[in-house]
Amino acid sequence: MEVLRIQTDVVIIGGGGAGCRAAVEVVAFTACDRMLDLERYGVEFRKYDDGRFFQTPMPGQTYPRSCFMMENGQHMSTVLAKQSARHDNVRVLKDFFAYGLLRSGTSVVGVVGMDMLGGRIVAVQAKATILASGGYTSLWGFSDNPPTLTGETLAMAYRAGADLVDLEFNQYYGTDVIWPPSVRGTVVLYELMIEELADGEIIDREGNPIIQKPLPIRDDAIKTIFQTVSSGKGTEHGGVYFDTTKSPKGEAKVREVFETMTPKHYQFIIDAAGIGLAKVPLEVAPASHYQCGGIFINERGQSTMDGLYACGECAGNFQGANRLAGSALCDTQTMGARAGGCADDDAKGRQLLPIDEADLGRHVDLMLGRLTKKSNPVRPITVKETIRSTMDTYVAPFRDRKGMQRGPSIMEGLREELPKLVAPDHKRYNIDLMEAVEAILMLDTAEATFRSAMFREESRGHHNRTDFPDTDDQNRRCHTIIARDGDKPKLSKRDVIYTLLPPEEA
Amino acid sequence: MTEDSIKVKICRYDPDRDRQPYFQQYLVPAERQLTVDEILAWIHHNRDDSLAFRTYKCYKGMCMTCLVKLNGRNVKGCATRVEPHTEITLEPPDGGRVVRDLVVDFDRM
Repeated sequence: MEVLRIQTDVVIIGGGGAGCRAAVEVVAFTACDRMLDLERYGVEFRKYDDGRFFQTPMPGQTYPRSCFMMENGQHMSTVLAKQSARHDNVRVLKDFFAYGLLRSGTSVVGVVGMDMLGGRIVAVQAKATILASGGYTSLWGFSDNPPTLTGETLAMAYRAGADLVDLEFNQYYGTDVIWPPSVRGTVVLYELMIEELADGEIIDREGNPIIQKPLPIRDDAIKTIFQTVSSGKGTEHGGVYFDTTKSPKGEAKVREVFETMTPKHYQFIIDAAGIGLAKVPLEVAPASHYQCGGIFINERGQSTMDGLYACGECAGNFQGANRLAGSALCDTQTMGARAGGCADDDAKGRQLLPIDEADLGRHVDLMLGRLTKKSNPVRPITVKETIRSTMDTYVAPFRDRKGMQRGPSIMEGLREELPKLVAPDHKRYNIDLMEAVEAILMLDTAEATFRSAMFREESRGHHNRTDFPDTDDQNRRCHTIIARDGDKPKLSKRDVIYTLLPPEEA
Repeated sequence: MTEDSIKVKICRYDPDRDRQPYFQQYLVPAERQLTVDEILAWIHHNRDDSLAFRTYKCYKGMCMTCLVKLNGRNVKGCATRVEPHTEITLEPPDGGRVVRDLVVDFDRM
């Protein structure tokens, strides 16, 4: 198979109590400038008639801070894609499945991936590499993120020698559709159940409301739903019912609420499942939604490996233990610009380091080795599904050592299957070939998540342990770091850096 | 068809191997309506690991990555349901350069 080689200055891989203050400061102090940049590029923000930005207080904010874009992140990313297409010095490699970081000595010198359309392996040699690939939410089987977000870039960074941080802080969204399969993973907005809007109920299999109004915060609702399902009072498919059919507002008003507040999701559920939310109760359950942790970065977006940067959801440190509503898009624009700017500055002062051909050869073999015939072939999808269901079962909204410790041994068993992974021999858009490499990398990220979750023996933010239900500020107000030590993972604590006010003085 | 199923004819074409496109037929068990996406995923998982189609999901019918030609018309695979006991034909969506089977290059679409 042909290996295409490209040289560049900066390559960006796109595609997800414990936040260091310096990183937090970058976000806080540069957010307004980045927002005005977005407006200049063409993003429309909701405004008052007098031209001021409309801002509301999202949960956890002391002032009304959150601004609203029309259609949220979808609109923002379309505008940014158009803007970057205007620049001649930006080349976009589409349908590019990145799967390895190239190392030379102690530096990351580029990235290896598969051009899915052309069926070629591509090695991009770069002075700086930025991972901006989103989170690892779809490492879990029940997730509301695209199925591609399975955490390969975390595994890539880990294999290259970079530290990963706080992988145990996994956010769930409480009311994602769990049945029927055509809409499984679609978000149904919990907040719409309030009295002022749809005024419906979340009910168990017997029709009993399980959540009282005024609606509790999402974390508490998740706990209640999780307990309802665990105690056997959930629906046939493992959820609870999101039911607006008995709302005092009446069907027409409820329909209007869905059509105004979440028109795309509402219509999608009708088209793909034939279900009108205002007419029929829907089975929902907590699904994996966002990851606070990831590749450890400092306030410049630098990882612990020379030449490697990260930003957005695939990076960890800024979000700490608990992501607040309204912070994720802000993170992408502030830390994204920051990492980009710093990577560019650093690249200017560097030479392009040569690729280690043996290293490149190993990455090529990882991919091509799947195409040789195997005596007991294993479909990659079976390994992926086992990883995902293991995560669902043991790294759940509420977790304990007894369950979690099964994870690493299941992963060990799956590692033995990896040499048998096989894909049919097609050059272009070979899904099984891509899934085989995904499965190999997913194992690393899953194992690292299990070990991090077992390491942190307390409950904090999005990490809830039933065997350690209290928060341990004395011993655990710190990061969990996992990194490669030889060929084994090594866990450690790292101090959180407070530059201005430590939490107790805030 | 004696049991609940959907008969699916899919246009296959590998430019590296095939002189021209051809149709391949599959029988998908279906006791209820299935979306085109569900049908393709079932075929890929249970019958044919070589099938090429777009697997990305946005979960809200917006991204258009799942565009496919169903019975002669471009539709969103994620949001289009097919009844049991029907026969359908799937081809790559109009407007894009065919890469392999149902996958097209979205450039200039």
